[in-house]
Amino acid sequence: MFADIISTVEFNHTGELLATGDKGGRVVIFQREPESKNAPHSQGEYDVYSTFQSHEPEFDYLKSLEIEEKINKIKWLPQQNAAHSLLSTNDKTIKLWKITERDKRPEGYNLKDEEGKLKDLSTVTSLQVPVLKPMDLMVEVSPRRVFANGHTYHINSISVNSDCETYMSADDLRINLWHLAITDRSFNIVDIKPANMEDLTEVITASEFHPHHCNLFVYSSSKGSLRLCDMRAAALCDKHSKLFEEPEDPSNRSFFSEIISSVSDVKFSHSGRYMLTRDYLTVKVWDLNMEARPIETYQVHDYLRSKLCSLYENDCIFDKFECAWNGSDSVIMTGAYNNFFRMFDRNTKRDVTLEASRESSKPRAVLKPRRVCVGGKRRRDDISVDSLDFTKKILHTAWHPAENIIAIAATNNLYIFQDKVNSDMH
Amino acid sequence: ARRQSRFSSGVFTDRGSTPRGELVGTSCSRLSFGTWAGAHRIVSISLGKIYNSRVQRGGIKLHKNLLVSLVLRSARQVYLSDPCPGLYLAGHPGAPAPPQQPEESAAGPPAGWGEPPPPAGRAAWPEPEPQPERPAVPEVPRAGDSEPAATVTAAGDTLQGGEAEAPEAAWRRVEGPRETAVGGAGGPAEVSGVFPEGPEAARGPCGCPPGDEDNLSAAPRVDGCRAPRPAAAEPPASPPVCARKRGAGWVGGGPADCPAPGSTPLKKPRRNSEEQPGGAAAAAEEEQEEEMETGNVANLISIFGSSFSGLLRKSPGGGREEAEGEESGPEAAEPGQICCDKPVLRDINPWSTAIVAF
Repeated sequence: MFADIISTVEFNHTGELLATGDKGGRVVIFQREPESKNAPHSQGEYDVYSTFQSHEPEFDYLKSLEIEEKINKIKWLPQQNAAHSLLSTNDKTIKLWKITERDKRPEGYNLKDEEGKLKDLSTVTSLQVPVLKPMDLMVEVSPRRVFANGHTYHINSISVNSDCETYMSADDLRINLWHLAITDRSFNIVDIKPANMEDLTEVITASEFHPHHCNLFVYSSSKGSLRLCDMRAAALCDKHSKLFEEPEDPSNRSFFSEIISSVSDVKFSHSGRYMLTRDYLTVKVWDLNMEARPIETYQVHDYLRSKLCSLYENDCIFDKFECAWNGSDSVIMTGAYNNFFRMFDRNTKRDVTLEASRESSKPRAVLKPRRVCVGGKRRRDDISVDSLDFTKKILHTAWHPAENIIAIAATNNLYIFQDKVNSDMH
Repeated sequence: ARRQSRFSSGVFTDRGSTPRGELVGTSCSRLSFGTWAGAHRIVSISLGKIYNSRVQRGGIKLHKNLLVSLVLRSARQVYLSDPCPGLYLAGHPGAPAPPQQPEESAAGPPAGWGEPPPPAGRAAWPEPEPQPERPAVPEVPRAGDSEPAATVTAAGDTLQGGEAEAPEAAWRRVEGPRETAVGGAGGPAEVSGVFPEGPEAARGPCGCPPGDEDNLSAAPRVDGCRAPRPAAAEPPASPPVCARKRGAGWVGGGPADCPAPGSTPLKKPRRNSEEQPGGAAAAAEEEQEEEMETGNVANLISIFGSSFSGLLRKSPGGGREEAEGEESGPEAAEPGQICCDKPVLRDINPWSTAIVAF
């Protein structure tokens, strides 16, 4: 099976399932094997559970535009019955998929034989009650809803509300609120499109509902600001309840200041008290109670600050990296180049750079910390900035909601790392 | 799908390796931001990106284009602050084509830039007059509404840093040293005298890079923009940009390159139509307008219009017709160019023609 570039990675609420979306519009779901008592060392590993084609390329004839089938985001719905549900979206259309298992099938029909052919009634001499017999597990996926025509611009985020009934979808200029059961209409709750497009100065880059307060959501902008909105305050949440913005450091000003301050991802902490944002060079932790500036800023790859022109030229400066919290909100993670990803421990203030590569991911291999040298003393395994491979970028990462298991998407490879030992990260 | 067999922990799927992408540090790093050369290079690169965005799968990405336009604006400020823009020059028709290497191009600039522009060329430029960044000129918003890449395409085309071979090669032939100055890709015309002086917004969406008209086929969809002939050849009197506001700026030929103000209303009402939910057709139409309205476009016009105005059309109609004939092939796909020659089409919003073509 052809493996396409992975475009999104998401654990479900229990961490049992891991969904990935790719550029070809496919979704692959992995399931964690239950830990075996016989082999306690093989703590649940992830196997492919289901694969299905979520979106197909479309062509908008009116605009002569092709709509990419690439899956931008996947969000799981909280599980409410035996079935699992998730939302997957491309640039324009969101779909609700239901994933069910079938592990039994009825046998012993009276009118049909084993192959389903009608029996000759003259041969039926007695009646039997069909019984359910076990069968090999089959995972069935079916599209339950298609939420189309809600967006003019490209959808960048979806987020399921804690009320489990609604969700929002955000594009460059608007955010819509949908009800999971209603597909023919949505409610526009944010609209930053100026009357005159010439006056456009910023776009929405990401948005998310608060994990506990179903009336609160945040959206980030290309200017580096965050706006927390309260849906109870007004129908159209153009006026934010809180605006989180850090004043720009004038000494860092360059042609590319605006680009690198654009927020590429925003995530609420599990506690709901903090927000994590990622811009091109840093990750920042914001306290919902303090709008003036982030409470923590971590440099992801500051050595790129002097290379911005080249990164602009090769388009890398537009890469949108995601960020993630661990289950206890004590460690944050984000990707970088050369298949490196970084983790920052908020308590110890220690950070580590790891690499997702075939060599480093032999089963049970321990990831070795990597280092990028920026001149000065160079250690043996250091990599110099100029030899970083900028085509190997880790844009999408996910952290298991409860355990130290991380999923790293490196172009078209998915790496899953488990921390078997209680490392000093905690 | 049936549950598949257990995978080893770690990697799922592998698709082989991708070419190693290392930092292209050379050409960029040699130019510091504060310099005019650096700003110019950045503008060139930016134009190229906007041009490319036009043909990207999935449609124009508003976010990226907005960011690029912000970079352009910053770079433009450096441009404008340069006290000696005149060092820039008109190309030498006979100059040998510079090598493709961006590094070499970057190293090239001094040669090209050191030459003063032909006095006649400078005189051609209208007196600078202060222009608001976004004048309330009809074309501007309209241009803003439409296909952003249209203006920039021509410029961007050759600014690919070596990717677009035909256009680049074509431009180089004409531009000579000037293109080296741009950094390898054969940048937009540096009729430097224009940029610093000229009002941006007043200029039409003529971000066309310079180039011989013969080679215009390489510069697609430049509505109303013609590559300027080398300064020596061109009648100096005609300013390359359409001076909407100033009207009198033209010598030898009316504001041919600029969409007539009167044509604006054709598009404007549609552009500003309220978006309504539901109604597939209506929504689609509004969506269509909206989709085309990537707001940075107008910014781009104002940014580039003056400087990269190579366009020109100042050559006598005969010359142009010839060029047009040569481009008849590509022009089938690039009506923008046809537009600038046919008087009738001249008045049509170049953006809309680009859209139609698209």
